[in-house]
Amino acid sequence: MKHSPLKITRIVLAILIFVPLLLFCCDFAHGLPRSFHALAHLQFTPALLSGSVIILVLLLLLTFLFGRIYCSVICPLGVLQDFLAKLNRGKKKRNNKRKREYRYTKPYNILRYSLLGLCIIFLIFGNITLLGWLDPYSNFGRIAVNIFRPVLVAGNNLIAWIAMQMHSYSFYHVTLHTVTVASFCFAFAALLLVAVLSVWRGRLFCNTLCPVGSFFSLISRFSLFRVKVDESKCTHCGLCAKSCKAECIDSKKGEIDHSRCVVCFNCLERCNKEHALHYTFAYSKPKSQSAPAPEQVKGMNRRAFLATSTALAATLPLLPAWAQSKKEIDPTKLTPITPPGSRSLKHFTERCTACHLCVTHCPMQIIKPAGFNFGIEYAFKPHLVYYEMAFCNYECTVCSQICPNGAIERLTRDEKQTTQIGIAQFEKSRCVVFVENTSCGACSEHCPVQAVRMEPYGDTGLTLPHVYDELCIGCGGCESICPVRPVKAINILANETHQTAIRPKEEKIEEVEELDFGF
Amino acid sequence: MERRDFLKKTILAGVAASLSFDGLQAALSPSSSSNNLTVESVPDMVAVMGGEPAQLLERALKEMGGISKYIKKGQSVVIKPNIGWDKKPDFAANTNPELISALIKQCFQAGAKKVTVFDHTCDNWQRCYTNSGIENAVKAAGGTMLPGNDEVYYKTVSLPKGVKLKSTKIHQALIDADVWINVPILKNHGGAKMSIAMKNYMGIVWDRTYFHSNDLQQCIADICTWEKKPVLNIVDAYRCLRKNGPQGRAVSDTSLLKTLIISKDIVAADTAAIGLFNQVEKMDIAQVGHIAKGEQLKLGTQVLDRLNVKKIKL
Repeated sequence: MKHSPLKITRIVLAILIFVPLLLFCCDFAHGLPRSFHALAHLQFTPALLSGSVIILVLLLLLTFLFGRIYCSVICPLGVLQDFLAKLNRGKKKRNNKRKREYRYTKPYNILRYSLLGLCIIFLIFGNITLLGWLDPYSNFGRIAVNIFRPVLVAGNNLIAWIAMQMHSYSFYHVTLHTVTVASFCFAFAALLLVAVLSVWRGRLFCNTLCPVGSFFSLISRFSLFRVKVDESKCTHCGLCAKSCKAECIDSKKGEIDHSRCVVCFNCLERCNKEHALHYTFAYSKPKSQSAPAPEQVKGMNRRAFLATSTALAATLPLLPAWAQSKKEIDPTKLTPITPPGSRSLKHFTERCTACHLCVTHCPMQIIKPAGFNFGIEYAFKPHLVYYEMAFCNYECTVCSQICPNGAIERLTRDEKQTTQIGIAQFEKSRCVVFVENTSCGACSEHCPVQAVRMEPYGDTGLTLPHVYDELCIGCGGCESICPVRPVKAINILANETHQTAIRPKEEKIEEVEELDFGF
Repeated sequence: MERRDFLKKTILAGVAASLSFDGLQAALSPSSSSNNLTVESVPDMVAVMGGEPAQLLERALKEMGGISKYIKKGQSVVIKPNIGWDKKPDFAANTNPELISALIKQCFQAGAKKVTVFDHTCDNWQRCYTNSGIENAVKAAGGTMLPGNDEVYYKTVSLPKGVKLKSTKIHQALIDADVWINVPILKNHGGAKMSIAMKNYMGIVWDRTYFHSNDLQQCIADICTWEKKPVLNIVDAYRCLRKNGPQGRAVSDTSLLKTLIISKDIVAADTAAIGLFNQVEKMDIAQVGHIAKGEQLKLGTQVLDRLNVKKIKL
């Protein structure tokens, strides 16, 4: 079979975006250049939520010009589905009889546009839960971070173990703390879903559940370049439909549903005898008598429109109830600590779609996906968890550099060092110095801003921690090292709105005069 | 390579590797006890003041009888600096990288087979290694940096002489090494009051939380009773952290002392270092509980008059 140059270009471009993005999501060793995060910024939902107008315009323009190239080339979940479908179909090719082929199906307009509409309505109300759960990039991120990354780490650890048996430390062992049961299950369910759908019916996910796909479908109906059927040559053999993973070519009628076409060019390659399919300018005068494609595209018919609107209207009363539920959370017990740069719980919750890129790239492994403990709106979104040896590094701003959604905004090192994400709460009755009468001071040791200071207590010469709230930035150094169990004696209480801590005054550097040994 | 082949080779390599260590090595290697028997009049402690880190080290080692007195040809050496914090060298939170580099070169001159450096850091290990300047210094001098970030690298050892700490997990590299050198920096410390040679031992163990919840000062003394003692304690007092230790908040928390103290006696080294420290910041040695507790455990003496101490100003 002669390969179509367009298809080859599509595959090459897709790989060039997919592979680096996949590796960046799984980069447990933090070895890749940080500039790779630009690939995440290219994604539609992150661009929308971070308000990257230039990227949005470019993506819309791209779709208007060439159709849903985004779904074939830029979207990592789309490429992942192609890969999964290929794995399955590739094998069955040897046994020609059992080979599964695609066939034309009607679009599920009610479903896809209802979901899109719901996402948009919720988005307007500042709730991006549904969008985050359906968003292809975020799902891809969760799958890569929670499933592929642990597999890579296991491989690394096996190599590191073998190397260590030979007394080589060239590879180092990594223990992952950031895959939670909830995040793994959710990512696994998503992987299972797209795997089943893609193996069964190609790009079914993209044309039913995916809000980004549905949104682009509204534009691609009118795209300037598209695959066209040359009626004069077409024999209606149906080969093109069998190769169409979007199941959008109705070979009998010689029609293509451009709202579902992801411009993969598989059909061009398949139709290599008759050359009846071409990727050309849509509005050129047709050579044959057949009407131009745009008019043939079935838009949303009246029935579908009504059903969609009704479904949307029916859910409207639910929204205020949903919005209210978050107010019932007790802030002292259940407030998640959001990363420095996220400004406030509200700002973060309204922008984070839980792609988990920050989870992979936090060098301290303190950014962990939540379960349902902070309510459904916060489910799977990352929050800071301080535990043994793990706290927010004073010099580090990685999460704020890579967040594609603008949920964590860029901070300079100086800004981060005064961003107060929470305040340490010291409980004397649990402290080992108070209970055991022995010196400790681990909390003070770990405080990078001297907000926790050891101050004389009693006449035993012992010192007890004291927290200076205005200096504390909530990094959790104190909490992470506090030896008291099960509940630590010093804990960070999140600031729902981040504050600015006072930077201690710089003191003059004292010169040492006349120094002797002193012993 | 066939799978079977691969498995065979891996197993063989594993067996070979495990054979060459532990018992055999302990029997063959010149242990610290044989060093004690030398009759030369080598000082018990040398303190040098007024030079750059490499100069200080060179002079001090010369006075101590030369590095080859402590490191023999073909030995594998572990150097244990303090690399606890993600701080630049000027903050004096970590051992001076120039000193580490000079020491590695000395070890290789003495014929060391391999020189490795690690610390169980308090902050992110890669950031600590890089920003302390120690990773670069080690690589430039031909040494190897080891990770100490994961429990898999640590093996349980027993501490029969320990009072509170009876056993703990220590880094495998240190257990495997022929000799090791303890290279702390002189620091103020919020919890232990001072962090010098004895406190630097906390970076060789995995579970430090136990220390904090079971009488920190006693546990520090207990860990120093581990049978494998460092051949030398080299206290880096080139720049000391005067206050706000162990991390320090600013360069203004440090003082430039340009001094180095070397001794085999860890208690004496810490005692002398506190004497030096007291000239820039008051610190009652009685507050630094682990030093007296170390003396009780016969790790050394606080009475420097009993020792042959050599003080040199460059």
